[in-house]
Amino acid sequence: MTNVLAYLRGPWAIAVYTWREGMRKKTLVGFLILSLLVIFGSNFITAFLFESGGSEGPTSDVDTKLIKDICITAIAIFGILITIFISASVVPTEVENKVIYTVLSKPVRRFQYLLGKFVGVQLIVLLNLCLMGILFFFALYFKERVWPTLLLWSLLVTYFEFLIVSAFTFAISCTASSAVLPTISGLFIYITGYLSEYLKDTAERAGQTTQVLDALIGKIAYGLYLVLPNLKAFSRVEKQIVYAQPNDPVQAELIPQLILLSVVYCFAGYVLAYWIFRRREL
Amino acid sequence: MSAVIETESLTKVYEGALKGQDVHALKGVSLTMNRGEIFAYLGPNGSGKTTTIKLLLGLIFPTSGKLRILGKTDVNAAAVKRNIGYLPEGAYYPEFLEGEEVLRFYGQLYGMGGRVLESRISEVLETVGLSHARKRLVRGYSKGMRQRIGLAQALLSDPQILILDEPTTGLDPIARKEIRDILVNLRDRGKTLFVSSHELLEIEMISNRVGILFEGELKVLGTIDELLTDRDVTLEIEHLGSDKLEQFRNAGVAVEDTVENRYLLRVPSNMSVFAALDMCRQLDARLVSVRPRRETLEELFVRVVGAAGKAKENVQ
Repeated sequence: MTNVLAYLRGPWAIAVYTWREGMRKKTLVGFLILSLLVIFGSNFITAFLFESGGSEGPTSDVDTKLIKDICITAIAIFGILITIFISASVVPTEVENKVIYTVLSKPVRRFQYLLGKFVGVQLIVLLNLCLMGILFFFALYFKERVWPTLLLWSLLVTYFEFLIVSAFTFAISCTASSAVLPTISGLFIYITGYLSEYLKDTAERAGQTTQVLDALIGKIAYGLYLVLPNLKAFSRVEKQIVYAQPNDPVQAELIPQLILLSVVYCFAGYVLAYWIFRRREL
Repeated sequence: MSAVIETESLTKVYEGALKGQDVHALKGVSLTMNRGEIFAYLGPNGSGKTTTIKLLLGLIFPTSGKLRILGKTDVNAAAVKRNIGYLPEGAYYPEFLEGEEVLRFYGQLYGMGGRVLESRISEVLETVGLSHARKRLVRGYSKGMRQRIGLAQALLSDPQILILDEPTTGLDPIARKEIRDILVNLRDRGKTLFVSSHELLEIEMISNRVGILFEGELKVLGTIDELLTDRDVTLEIEHLGSDKLEQFRNAGVAVEDTVENRYLLRVPSNMSVFAALDMCRQLDARLVSVRPRRETLEELFVRVVGAAGKAKENVQ
């Protein structure tokens, strides 16, 4: 047990250091402040819109829906930007400022280093998501005067959606010496993840002609559909939870499946990162 | 003496994107470093010093050749890494941390913790003379203090081997002297120091053995005494007319330097000092001083690198 703790002490120290350093990055703080302002302001925005609408203004339900729309969009946009930015930059920054030399010259294996960095990134993502979620939580509470506990499930699913993007962005960042390419790749992964259902449509429509190429494209599309993460599935569940009424049942059977799927992709992303990084010349 | 670092025909080629663009950073370097010595690794920029250091640390991988540290070929093994302290050139230390927090972070990477780590932090801060600033943020550290905290993190595990890349560059004379004293003290405690530097005067003062690298090839390797064998005598004389100076030149005495009426004459090794003094007497020159002189490391470096450069030009 003591040996295990000593073995994990290095990665944990790296994770805490990454978290402390990451929370000081100006870009990240900027995104966070913007998102908090938008979420905090959602109540005021709805109040302003409906007051200007006069006596024909929408009902309280529509009012609440608008707050939810604003907050969900803010969390989705700023959350993923923070996730991609931080996942893309932690390793290249250390290569650039040579901290990695002093770290890897200590008895820290490369997989331990990557584990520490990745856990550090997740601490940052979780903290940011929690801050945004808490504000969203209170924005809804002040509107409805009911604790929106279902929101916690939505935030959990959102985190596991971010985890997939984070893992693959992190893996790509292990090839790069600057954060630009991994950031672009992270955005690409996110967009592709949302479009992966179209691949299924393509596969289903293929084979309608007898041409070989048509069938081949169908098979490739289906293969990609199986391999690529389907982020829309996460988003769908998040929205179902958020827009459900307080007494509506949570789609409990879907959440563990999505979490498991996310953990599998995360593991694949970490293995890919290690495979890239293990022989990288620094 | 027992060898702590051994390299045998160590070669590193950085592959280029296209054929013919490969960079041969290290060409068959064979070295041995012994316990309790300061080994100075010298060479012009781009000669392969940093490549060698990165190979020793397992940050890059050799193309061919053998590398053994403390008898082990796996340089990334924990037993090896625990016994290596590394100070990189111009490294960044997290500015938002206090001095002791930086060391706590690095200590945890060694698997250290609790009282053992805290007492070790105090010890190394004392060694590098930074105890007074342990609670200060690194942001407020001067360049010399940053170098000291770098040295402190390298010393944390009390390693047998210290690899130091430009440890005194950019420091003021007092800080240099202090760092130099620390290095000598470490050597006297039995540590092996591998120092890469351009500060040749300092290196000459503290190192036992020297290796000079040029374009990836080890041109010179030996102890200071073995390498700096060229010894002669310098005469400092005053009030010498140009015709008399010419007579000295004709006798093979080189005029090294001139400051107003004072001349520095270098008597070649094949000429007797007494013969030179007789000439002074005959020419009625006023003798200020007679100094035995040994070739400096800087002169050796310039000679070796210059010769290697010329040889390369001739081949081309």
